Amino acid sequence: MRILRIVSAFLRAAILKETAYRAELAGNLLRSVINIGVAVGGLAVVFSHTSELSGWRLEQAMVLLGVYYLVQGIVQTALSPSLNEVVSEVRKGTFDYVLLKPVPSLLLSSTRRFVVWHVADVMLGGAIIAIGLIRLEAQITVGIAAVFVGVMVGGVAIVFSIWLALTTLVFWFVRVENITMIFQLFFDTGRYPVEIYPFWLRQLLTFVFPVAFITTVPAQTITGREPLVAIWLAPLIGILALLAAARFWRIGLSRYTSASS
Amino acid sequence: MILRRTTLAGALALTRAEIADMFQYRVVLFLYSLWEVVHPIVYLAVWGAIAGEGDVGGLRLSDFAAYYLTFMLVSHVTAAIEIYTFGPMIQQGELSPHLLRPMNPVWVAAARNISYKSVSMLLLIPVWIGLVIILRPTFSITAGSALLFVVALVVAALLSFLVGTTFALLAFWTTRSFSFWEIWIGLTFLLGGQIAPVELLPGFVQNLATALPMRYTLGFPIEVLLNRLDAGELALGFVLQFAWLIAAALIVRTVWRAGIRQYSAVGA
Repeated sequence: MRILRIVSAFLRAAILKETAYRAELAGNLLRSVINIGVAVGGLAVVFSHTSELSGWRLEQAMVLLGVYYLVQGIVQTALSPSLNEVVSEVRKGTFDYVLLKPVPSLLLSSTRRFVVWHVADVMLGGAIIAIGLIRLEAQITVGIAAVFVGVMVGGVAIVFSIWLALTTLVFWFVRVENITMIFQLFFDTGRYPVEIYPFWLRQLLTFVFPVAFITTVPAQTITGREPLVAIWLAPLIGILALLAAARFWRIGLSRYTSASS
Repeated sequence: MILRRTTLAGALALTRAEIADMFQYRVVLFLYSLWEVVHPIVYLAVWGAIAGEGDVGGLRLSDFAAYYLTFMLVSHVTAAIEIYTFGPMIQQGELSPHLLRPMNPVWVAAARNISYKSVSMLLLIPVWIGLVIILRPTFSITAGSALLFVVALVVAALLSFLVGTTFALLAFWTTRSFSFWEIWIGLTFLLGGQIAPVELLPGFVQNLATALPMRYTLGFPIEVLLNRLDAGELALGFVLQFAWLIAAALIVRTVWRAGIRQYSAVGA
């Protein structure tokens, strides 16, 4: 309960801060619309030469793109702002103030900052998913919707774990401002179904750096495609990844020695 | 613009200093280079999946491999980074000391551009050679096409630099120059030969891509090198590329003069 109150206070502060810069907000929203419009245009170009991409029809690929932007939006709204802050605080030694507060450090470190306007990506991603599903005339039962939500939550948990693990490296290497670029590097492969990649890359993107579970699997679930792997694995992997990342965080934290010691 | 010898010597000295500076950031530069490798591989995978054993519009898998492998090098050489290097200088008032020097600060942006690319190219080449071995492209290059390619590449890099500088200079007026830049990036993605070689774009879009400048910063040199154009298309391409280069030079000049007139450092 107390945790919820703390997080909602941070969220309120973020919204207040964002509404102070309304022109900036409008510009950013326009940017989201353009980005997603361009991505859909790219799909249209690809599908002007084929009716299916590794068995995915245009509408299904659109749903997948929607899932990509949905996750991207969640990352940029809620995950990356807070965790990037940790990197600079550890470098400057001001991470002391996080540790001194009577709140678990991991909770504080991962929920302090929200960049609210990225919610636009979440909404536009959702809209593209909806358009794709309507054009597919997909029969979405409550069961399928529930599985989809479960798989999505699993995917976001995996993303959070990877991001947290990369951030935790700061306790060893200090100068890791750009390390999360590695995440984006792999994540960008998730704009298209994982089946398009050659065998070795597909294995890498499924089992080592599980982008497949973040975009391909949820899109398969909701568009009724034959699942790549048993879908119940997604939430399971999400939970395991979270536990592992939290453990890694604790190990990293024990190495923190502030700035001048 | 008349190039005086002192200006050139100054630019050289700047570039040397910037290269020394760049070597501090090897890891970051390597990550940036990987970024430029990943995207072409994604597009290659898309087209490879469609082509399979056959072809798409006359392009086989090995042709796509050649296209996107060339793409990696061309996009690296022509990448415009001014929005990150020059834009912030204007915004944060760091431009002021450079204005006191007897040469245009645009040279600082140019020096940074060249030094960034030469250092990160060293890191990119080994990765690229590895990919050539894995992907088995068929490069249909002739001596003539290689020669024309060098010309097209140099003009593309210049054009791209001038476009990047124009967008960076918007920082004189707005703090949102980055939003405008993203529109350019989006158009290049669609029309510049990035998501697909220009020859695969649907008819009307292809004409648009031929007329607009994006292709001449990226796709055109690749098409020249791989002999994808007939004599007429080649001639038209070069004419348009040079026309856009001149237009861009004039635009940068105009925007710079207008911007510097109303420049005031932070706090003024």
